Amino acid sequence: MKVEQQIPRNALVWIIISLFTLVLPHIERVPHWVLSVYVLSAIWRVMVYRGRWSFPRWPIKLGLIFAAFAGILFSYRSLIGLEPTVALLLAAFAFKLLELKERKDAYVLLFLGYFVILTEFLFSQDLLIVLLCVVNVVLVTTALVALHRPGVDSFSTRPLTKASLMVLQAMPLMLVLFFLFPRIGPLWTVPIKSQQATTGMSEFMTPGDVSQLSRSSEVAFRVEFDGAIPPRSTLYWRGLVMSRLRENTWSALDYYEVPARERRPQEPQFTGVPLRYSVIMAPTQQRWLYSLRYARSTDAGILNAADYRLFRPVIIEDDLLYRVTSWPAAQLEERLSDWRRRTELALPPQANPRVRQLAQSIAADAHDSQEIVDAVLTLFREQPFVYTLQPPLLPQQDPMDAFLFDTRRGFCEHYASVFVIMMRAAGVPARVVAGYQGGEVNPVNRTVIVHQFDAHAWAEVWIQGQGWVRVDPTAAVSPERIELGLEEALAGEGSFLADSPLSPLRYRRIDIINKLRLRYDALTYRWQSWVVGFNADTQLQLLQRWFGEFSARTFAVVILGSWALVLIPVGLVLLLRRKVHKLSKLDRLYLRFCDKLEKRGVTREAGESPSAFASRAQHQLPLMARSIADVTQRYQRLAYAGTDDSDRELDELARAVRKLN
Amino acid sequence: MNTVAGSATASTIGLRVRRRFRAWINRRIPPSRVTTLNQRRIFIFPSKAGLFYALCMLVMLLAAINFQNNLSYGLTFLLFTLFIVAILHTYANLSGLTIRAVHARPAFPGQRSEFELQLERSRRGEHVGLRLQWPGGSPVSASLVDSDSLRLQMHLQVGQQRGWYSPGRLLIESSYPLGLLRCWSWIDLDLHALVYPRPLASAELPGLAAETPDGAAVLIEGSDDFFGFRDYRQGDSLRQIYWKGLARGQNVQVKQYVAYADRSVWLDWEMFTGLGTEQRLSHLCYWVLQFDAQGDEYGMRLPGVTIAPDCGERHRESVLRALALHGTGEPSP
Repeated sequence: MKVEQQIPRNALVWIIISLFTLVLPHIERVPHWVLSVYVLSAIWRVMVYRGRWSFPRWPIKLGLIFAAFAGILFSYRSLIGLEPTVALLLAAFAFKLLELKERKDAYVLLFLGYFVILTEFLFSQDLLIVLLCVVNVVLVTTALVALHRPGVDSFSTRPLTKASLMVLQAMPLMLVLFFLFPRIGPLWTVPIKSQQATTGMSEFMTPGDVSQLSRSSEVAFRVEFDGAIPPRSTLYWRGLVMSRLRENTWSALDYYEVPARERRPQEPQFTGVPLRYSVIMAPTQQRWLYSLRYARSTDAGILNAADYRLFRPVIIEDDLLYRVTSWPAAQLEERLSDWRRRTELALPPQANPRVRQLAQSIAADAHDSQEIVDAVLTLFREQPFVYTLQPPLLPQQDPMDAFLFDTRRGFCEHYASVFVIMMRAAGVPARVVAGYQGGEVNPVNRTVIVHQFDAHAWAEVWIQGQGWVRVDPTAAVSPERIELGLEEALAGEGSFLADSPLSPLRYRRIDIINKLRLRYDALTYRWQSWVVGFNADTQLQLLQRWFGEFSARTFAVVILGSWALVLIPVGLVLLLRRKVHKLSKLDRLYLRFCDKLEKRGVTREAGESPSAFASRAQHQLPLMARSIADVTQRYQRLAYAGTDDSDRELDELARAVRKLN
Repeated sequence: MNTVAGSATASTIGLRVRRRFRAWINRRIPPSRVTTLNQRRIFIFPSKAGLFYALCMLVMLLAAINFQNNLSYGLTFLLFTLFIVAILHTYANLSGLTIRAVHARPAFPGQRSEFELQLERSRRGEHVGLRLQWPGGSPVSASLVDSDSLRLQMHLQVGQQRGWYSPGRLLIESSYPLGLLRCWSWIDLDLHALVYPRPLASAELPGLAAETPDGAAVLIEGSDDFFGFRDYRQGDSLRQIYWKGLARGQNVQVKQYVAYADRSVWLDWEMFTGLGTEQRLSHLCYWVLQFDAQGDEYGMRLPGVTIAPDCGERHRESVLRALALHGTGEPSP
């Protein structure tokens, strides 16, 4: 192997460092055995470097590859999909270290490293993760620089300085490209994140199924209102509308289950002042979006369902930014179609007989739907119902009977479910709405942060002349839940965030932590709205705002202009500083002396030492021998001996050179 | 027939192109003993690794488009602009480097000569991972990081022809810092190695001309008979210094020795009448080496050149030089 193809020890160190930092952001996602592959590979490679072990032969390599495939298959039950592919890539990345012999292997490894950074972005675009990834870009580049500094056998940070500088210089140009590069749609379909657990709200609701509701402090979505933020008790973020009860489980109707003529929502009366806001929601692996009623969005790819909620035909796999306009006062569905009425009144015939009986007796005494609603809410308010996140389990058979007459402890799902069953039994069209209620206002940037623990379920009833009206039975039981939020409602129980001991939200009573948390949240929002949510539409708006009508010519001018703005100074710094070849005064004097001798026919050869030159010159110019010796001696003393009074001696040397004629 | 004619024209075209290129590069980078690399002299192009890198970027761009992932776009663009910035850095690594021809050792035909170069860096920039190579030679790598200059000895086989051997243009290249681009220059250092005639043995020296009478004392350094003292001159061997005298506080003196030269030989062009020029030179060369090995004195008479009898390394070199340059029109010593 040629010397220049070898991998310097310093480069090997940097390659191993970058290998481990590259896997760091993936750590919570990949199976643990992948990490042991990294450790094993690194140890093996170091032992090879020290000459103790040898590179693995091909049967061992083949065995390792098979083992990796088997491991992936065992861990994920599949080889297809994004997560197994990335895990496989990470394992292969570590194995490549065992093949690292010469420079071209290092190229393959390090370029693969850049690709590993990219795969992280497919899972998370969190600000901190992105910062870590920038560090990783610098480290991979450092390893690349170290690879081209031959013969460096001790650990050196010089490549790190160089790589940081280069990445720093590349950043502004990257931003220009980022904002100007035309965004086009996907060219073909790509593997989806099959293994990702769905987060947030579930598609189904079975009250009494779980005895303990665990709610995390993760952010579900953030909202920025164009105007003032409405009071939190009115912030009912509708997500799913559950119209069907089957085997004690509420679920939404699928698109194809709705008859074709019912699929388009009825246009409501646009009354009242509209609210305009934008939402950035975390990926849910689901299709529905959250909005206040009655919501409309002009964004591409967002549709309106017949039950007045927003959804997307494709699964939400990444952070999603969308703009919404809502008319909270609009009257929804003035006329109820027969199909809709049938659907919203349907009840399983046998289940919960006592609840139905009670509802029918209430209905018998009431004059209209509103009275029925009020009577049931009064029932909740006056009877000893308790709002708790730790309700007892309910029986499989007639769970709502057990809840309403026996246990009387539950959370929003229980109350919403029993309320809707009673409404339907009493002949009032009703349905369960699942979503989030309230949210935290961040004073830093006036966004509303909606956490997972804000998840809520309530009811909608259809009343003649009013359309669909929101009724929240939980508010009747526990008004604090709606007015003040979950934390206040559970102040006595202590179950708030019981599962997230490290969440900064738990410590929001400590002022500094809370301020930091809100600042970081504001930063995240800004990051998401600018970078993550950047798409063809926002790009066009931005470019039109900056440059007016945007044409191909302005595009070229902006790209070239901004690049010249960055590259010319960088080039000048790199190249011009070499031109400023300043000789010291001492060297200038000596060169003047050489010039003078050259005019007399004695030229100093390249590489000739001053003393050798002096003796030759003395030989050829015997008349000047003394002054030549004098100048040379003075020069040598100043250059090599280092005198105390160099200024005076320099002057004397200058005089001696001047006298030379 | 066609193919033969075709290949013939192809080769003449190739020849013409090569000649054109040589003329162009001679204009662009004229021969000089000292060359500082600058924008006229440096060429730059993506390396193989750079093309591979471009392929990786393409794959990443496709991933960014297909996943509609803004940060992947960002990363791809960062790598692209890193490539652009690397152009400047790679170029700057070579720019400002000064290459100075120091000397080239004489050699016999087909042997390896030593070419010595000096690399000097510009004041603040460093030059890392340089690779220098003569055509037909093996590459030498060098870095100028902490020192200001560096001497490089490069060994290269010289041609079969006596006279001045020109090694061609020196290739100097580097792909530091990222290896994505290769930056290079071909410089002509105007450095030539002297190639002596090939020594050719002949049975005996015809018509040996001994002019100095036997028994005359001739000062020869390195002999064994003491002759006297003289003052120290630069270049005298340390072994000959009269240390005892120096210890007594006298001037630095050296002891002189004499050998009684039994013969002092003239090597004459006319000794080998009837042979061709090259053959004569080869025989003369052979005998020069013979006498030199024995430590004998010898002189040389060539048409137009006469070198008085002497011995020693310097003498041998000047004699061999005269032989090497005979008839080339170059000035002899």
